[in-house]
Amino acid sequence: MGKLGFYFDMEACIGCRTCQIACKDKNNNKIGVLYRRVRNFETGVYPRPDGFNYSSSCNHCAEAKCVKGCPTGAMHYAEDGTVQHNKDKCIGCKYCIWNCPYGAPQFLEESGIVGKCDSCKSLRDQGENPACVDACIMRCLEFGDLEELKAKHGADLVQELSVLPEANLTEPSVLIKPKSCAMDANPREKEV
Amino acid sequence: MSSLLKKITDNKISRRSFLKATAAGTASLALTGCGSGLASVDGNINALGEEQGEWVSAACWHNCGGRCLNKALVVDGVVVRQKTDDTHEDSPDYPQQRGCLRGRSQRQQVFGADRLKYPMKRKNWQPGGGDKSLRGKDEWERISWDEALTYIADELQRVKKDYGNRSILHIGGWSSRITDISRTLGLFGGYAEYWNTNSFGSWAMTPKKVGFLQLGVWDQTVNDRFDMRNCETVIMLSMNPAWSAMGSSSWHYLQAKKAGAKFIGIDPFYNESYSMLGAEWVPVRPSTDSALLLAIANVLLTKDHPTMNPLIDWDFLNKYCLGFDADHMPEGEDPKGNFKDYVLGTYDGVPKTPAWASEICGVDKVQIEKLALEFRKDKKVAFLCGMASARTTNSDNLPQLIMTIGAMTGHMGKSGHMTGSTMHATSGNGGPALVCAGSNGLPGIANPVDDSINAGEVWDAILTGKYTFTGSGDFTSADQYKSGEQRDIDIHIIYHSGGATLQTSDGMTKGIEAHRKVDLVVSHSQFVTTNSKYADIVLPVTTEWEKVGGFSGGSLVHSGNREMLIMYSQISEPLFEAKSDQWIANELAKKLGLNEKEAFPFDEKQQFFNALASATVVNEDGKTYGPLVTITDADIKELGVTGKPQTGKITYPELKEKGVYQVKRSQGDNYGYIAYEDFVKDPENNPLTSESGKLEIYSRQLAKTVNDMGFSKIQAIPSYIPPVNGYQDTFQDWESKAKGEYPYQVINPHYLRRSHTVFDNVKWLQEAWHNPVFLNTKDAQANGIGNGETVLITSPYGKILRNACLTERVRPGVVALPHGAWVDVDEKTGIDKGGADNILSGQVPTGQGVSGFNTGIAKIEKYSASKLISDVEKPARIVF
Repeated sequence: MGKLGFYFDMEACIGCRTCQIACKDKNNNKIGVLYRRVRNFETGVYPRPDGFNYSSSCNHCAEAKCVKGCPTGAMHYAEDGTVQHNKDKCIGCKYCIWNCPYGAPQFLEESGIVGKCDSCKSLRDQGENPACVDACIMRCLEFGDLEELKAKHGADLVQELSVLPEANLTEPSVLIKPKSCAMDANPREKEV
Repeated sequence: MSSLLKKITDNKISRRSFLKATAAGTASLALTGCGSGLASVDGNINALGEEQGEWVSAACWHNCGGRCLNKALVVDGVVVRQKTDDTHEDSPDYPQQRGCLRGRSQRQQVFGADRLKYPMKRKNWQPGGGDKSLRGKDEWERISWDEALTYIADELQRVKKDYGNRSILHIGGWSSRITDISRTLGLFGGYAEYWNTNSFGSWAMTPKKVGFLQLGVWDQTVNDRFDMRNCETVIMLSMNPAWSAMGSSSWHYLQAKKAGAKFIGIDPFYNESYSMLGAEWVPVRPSTDSALLLAIANVLLTKDHPTMNPLIDWDFLNKYCLGFDADHMPEGEDPKGNFKDYVLGTYDGVPKTPAWASEICGVDKVQIEKLALEFRKDKKVAFLCGMASARTTNSDNLPQLIMTIGAMTGHMGKSGHMTGSTMHATSGNGGPALVCAGSNGLPGIANPVDDSINAGEVWDAILTGKYTFTGSGDFTSADQYKSGEQRDIDIHIIYHSGGATLQTSDGMTKGIEAHRKVDLVVSHSQFVTTNSKYADIVLPVTTEWEKVGGFSGGSLVHSGNREMLIMYSQISEPLFEAKSDQWIANELAKKLGLNEKEAFPFDEKQQFFNALASATVVNEDGKTYGPLVTITDADIKELGVTGKPQTGKITYPELKEKGVYQVKRSQGDNYGYIAYEDFVKDPENNPLTSESGKLEIYSRQLAKTVNDMGFSKIQAIPSYIPPVNGYQDTFQDWESKAKGEYPYQVINPHYLRRSHTVFDNVKWLQEAWHNPVFLNTKDAQANGIGNGETVLITSPYGKILRNACLTERVRPGVVALPHGAWVDVDEKTGIDKGGADNILSGQVPTGQGVSGFNTGIAKIEKYSASKLISDVEKPARIVF
């Protein structure tokens, strides 16, 4: 099996945040902790504005900085190649939070340790999809073998956007079908 | 206490952490099995319990336009997680009924720490009213159910004796007649009703008069979702299914895009739907669509050429319509009153040209001309609209005008062509219900009082004692829309037993004043909603998760798409002392000395069974229907009800386990739908609902009905009537274009954080959606307002605060304030910090009694006194 990761169809996304809530529900996260989140961007000017949404979680990077920088080995690669986090080994030092260019790991105040998207490994181990994938009402999200996802969704997929870090920093396991406006140089993030 | 609960509570919860969690307003899980109410547990509950749990079909029952499958993972009575439809493989033709972010947050709402736990009384209320001015700011006292019901029954008796039953105003959301308590109050001698046109605006009455409805309703004039894929052009007027029609609607529109349709969006806001569909934007000013559409008619008339440029379908107009031109006027009417001559300005000297319209609607005249050509008859066009443009004052002719444009271009009655409203539950998918919900079998109970007060006058009626009687019942009632009659009314009790009327009705500032005038305000609710905040006695009611179960979907009002029916089951015992509305209605009947068996001859379980047994499903011929559910003697015994076994398409246990029955659809199946197909084939034998049976571009009955009601005057043909509080009112002098005190127009887009007002207290959703006010960047900058800064918005009726989101997607001159935020008035300044849309609206009845939510004017300024904290940081409204 090749590298596993998420596919995101930005063209179909309406920014509803159902994925974000399904993730929150699966992980029982408190306010302030989001393993998956949706951000809203705007481009162009009146009367020809445009916009795009970006739904993101941990990218389960091939060169994950969080894994490299973790002093205890809490952040590690699972057998399936996804980046996983062992709570029992975590000391809450936050190095992973500083090292991740995507802001994926989150500090959990109550337990004093870190948490992040585990690509719903417990569900996948039972043959199910991650919660966000099966929640999406526009069917924008998929999870699977990246080579298979590429074959299915065509060649014009990207791994970086102007609002994201350069992909060669961490080799993220993510495939994005971008809206053309998402390739603009300076999208403006909006709090809707 | 069950073993799992013990494990969790022993290990994970201390009273201190519980208090900390609730004080911070964190939504909490209820440990319903332990009897002590709400408690907070952390994420480890998943690991502890998931494998032992059971997935149960859970209600999602709100007025959002969708109906989706919600399932709750219940472990020893605790809901630990939710999911949505996975009962079959998913495809665009046969989609799963996937729920949205709000439904996925349902457990946060049902088990929220802010659930009302006990009946409550306002401290300074006493029979007769006490200190009425303290409503909305008083302290709450816990009382027993017996005390609460005794207070209410005694006040009802006193007010009935002293002032009569018509002094009791019962409000139940969109209709006073649909609530459980209406049955008790009906037997008690009746009550004054509240009626409104709701979200539908002038779609409430106009379509029936002009023949612009199918299958008995106005939002079925559009073909089904498979046929939409045949369209070449989809023109959308004031639509945003991405925010206001949940379920699969947006996905259906995406299939039309993938099939090659081009999209155009006519709207003041370039919203998420247009953005996703890649629509070309026509940025029209709010409540000026009539002017724009008249100019489109003008362009079609002046540019049409039968061979060189075929724009108009004359055969369609001549055969199916009345009043388009002088040759097709109703008998006895002046031929000069026809639509064509009005558009061309033949007699009034004002041709309704793009230049004429542009001054009003703000769309460039060249763009109007280009847009008009898109409607051309030789293309397959869908002309679709939502309801927002008709939630405007003086819009009574707008649905008729939309119909007229569709008729002129022949986009009705055939594949790939369609015109009309497609909204809410039917958005993007017209046609009769393929699965039909059954009836609970309760006999109706009449209301002996005939008074019914329109939303545009209701608060004024309480304050002044006068109102315009236009008939009885709600907007669907056969007795509504009669000739207006001025009546005296003396309201002493307001009884809210459903809906969120003080929040969602026009003129909330006056509404609060009216609530502070009467002797008693009662409210049933699950939270300190706006209705309850300003009430004297608040009764905690159960959610659907705490009831015996029920149905949503199929043909029920407000109930999702036509292809499926959802059956949900009980998830939890009632929380704390919450009781069902029906229990309250029963107990109140007893206190009032009525026979409660007359109000409810059989219990909620039997009602559930009756609905189960009478649900029907279409047969494979696509025409006939048969019973949906197979029911055995064993099922009847298990349910403990009276009934007979029957044979259907799915067994009761399977329906209960799956939670949904969906008709499998495919392209070319027998379940497709082309609106107006029968009428177009044979108009003589399939007359429409209008007086003439045709599409009435000149409608005597529409004009007579509206004009007789007495709120305002219209013509029999679609004409432009400047709205009250519309664009022209933003000027102090229209001729010189000098701006007035309120230079901006306000609209209220539906917002995904909530369904109208429901869910707005859920912290997960407040975190996901910030509820800013959307301002055009240049407008904001001209007023010194930066992105994220706090804005004071002042209308002639009230003041609110919101933080600004500066955007290029709102046209200049427009303030887009999301609909439905819970009011939070600062009693020192009188300013609402919640951002409630109806603080900005007034009591302005026009036409058929339309609520003009999208006709508002305001000024905007930077608010320097203090920065508004985000809603998610505000404490939850926890009383006890």
